[in-house]
Amino acid sequence: MLRTITLVFSNFKYLLFSSIFFSLMFIGMLILSEYIFLEPYVVSHIPSGSEFGFLLILIISVLSSLVIPMNIFRINILKSSKQKMGGGLFGSIIGAAAGACSCGPIGFAVISTFGSVGATATAFLTNYETPIRIVAIIILIITYFTTVKSLKIECKLNS
Amino acid sequence: MNKKGVILGIISITIIGILAASFSMPSEDISVATRSHGTIDTTMGSPILGDPLAPITIVEFGDYQCHQCYNWFHNTKPSITENYIDTGKVNLVFVDLAFLGRDSPKAAQATYCAEDQGMYWEFHNHLYTLQESQIDNGWANTERLKAFAFGMGLDMELFEDCLDSGKYSKRVQFNSSQAKEHGIRGTPGFFIIDSDEQKQISGAQPFSVFKQILDSMI
Repeated sequence: MLRTITLVFSNFKYLLFSSIFFSLMFIGMLILSEYIFLEPYVVSHIPSGSEFGFLLILIISVLSSLVIPMNIFRINILKSSKQKMGGGLFGSIIGAAAGACSCGPIGFAVISTFGSVGATATAFLTNYETPIRIVAIIILIITYFTTVKSLKIECKLNS
Repeated sequence: MNKKGVILGIISITIIGILAASFSMPSEDISVATRSHGTIDTTMGSPILGDPLAPITIVEFGDYQCHQCYNWFHNTKPSITENYIDTGKVNLVFVDLAFLGRDSPKAAQATYCAEDQGMYWEFHNHLYTLQESQIDNGWANTERLKAFAFGMGLDMELFEDCLDSGKYSKRVQFNSSQAKEHGIRGTPGFFIIDSDEQKQISGAQPFSVFKQILDSMI
């Protein structure tokens, strides 16, 4: 497993992409979930009772920044199928969407635009925020292991 | 002569009747005392919390089903109350932006029904204390709102009449329209207003942010 990660991330391009992807996803999700505020001052805080939500965001961001570059590596270098990439992206997107609190600007915009349908959708994302994030983590973990397995086979790596 | 007398009598009675009716009928031109803070019309908002003559006002736009409003209520508001509202430096007005679910407008209306009995802030605090994490799961439906009122010792006949009749539905709608007019994009949203300026804060930001702004305005 470690050799697979080393193989992908020994290439500086993938390491850089992974770092940028992690930073954008982590900070973006923290802003959406109101752990970071940009106005009137840049400030971050974890309200009491929200620590677990913060941890889930961290795990989703780490897993996404591992899985997606590994799949891009598979597609670019090995010309493999894009199927596993879809799993990684799906996990990342639903993990991020769960954090878009319906109280926040995105939720308000969705409800204002789509009315009761938007309200139902954002209420669902808010009510089931934690389970959705856990499902996203499970999807990312499964995608990670299947990607590692296929890389081992495709690159003929010995574990 | 008699005919003229009768006609004059009828005319006189008619004029007296019209004058009497006009004096006894309530005037339709009821003047409503308006209240505004900065550019925000807070006439339909909550009663003022704190000293009405305080030089700075915080206008909070919120929804009783909003989890971030709950976070602000429990994590930030106590420090603001202790350091600024209780000391007379700042007062606070709550204005509804009831948009999150079907129970949100009813919960907002219920606070004004409680206000009719002088219990607005008690009911407001009760809702944010008992808020459940799921939107529209029934914690703020009409029956629960009535149960809250009963538990607080409100006159239930008055409260139920008020809530069931939708007495304050337009008041809540007006407040939500104020929020939209002022570019509020989510809850909680705040304006901090003094005689010279009004500053906007979006989201359940920590006390340090409010302190920094309030101290710069005092």
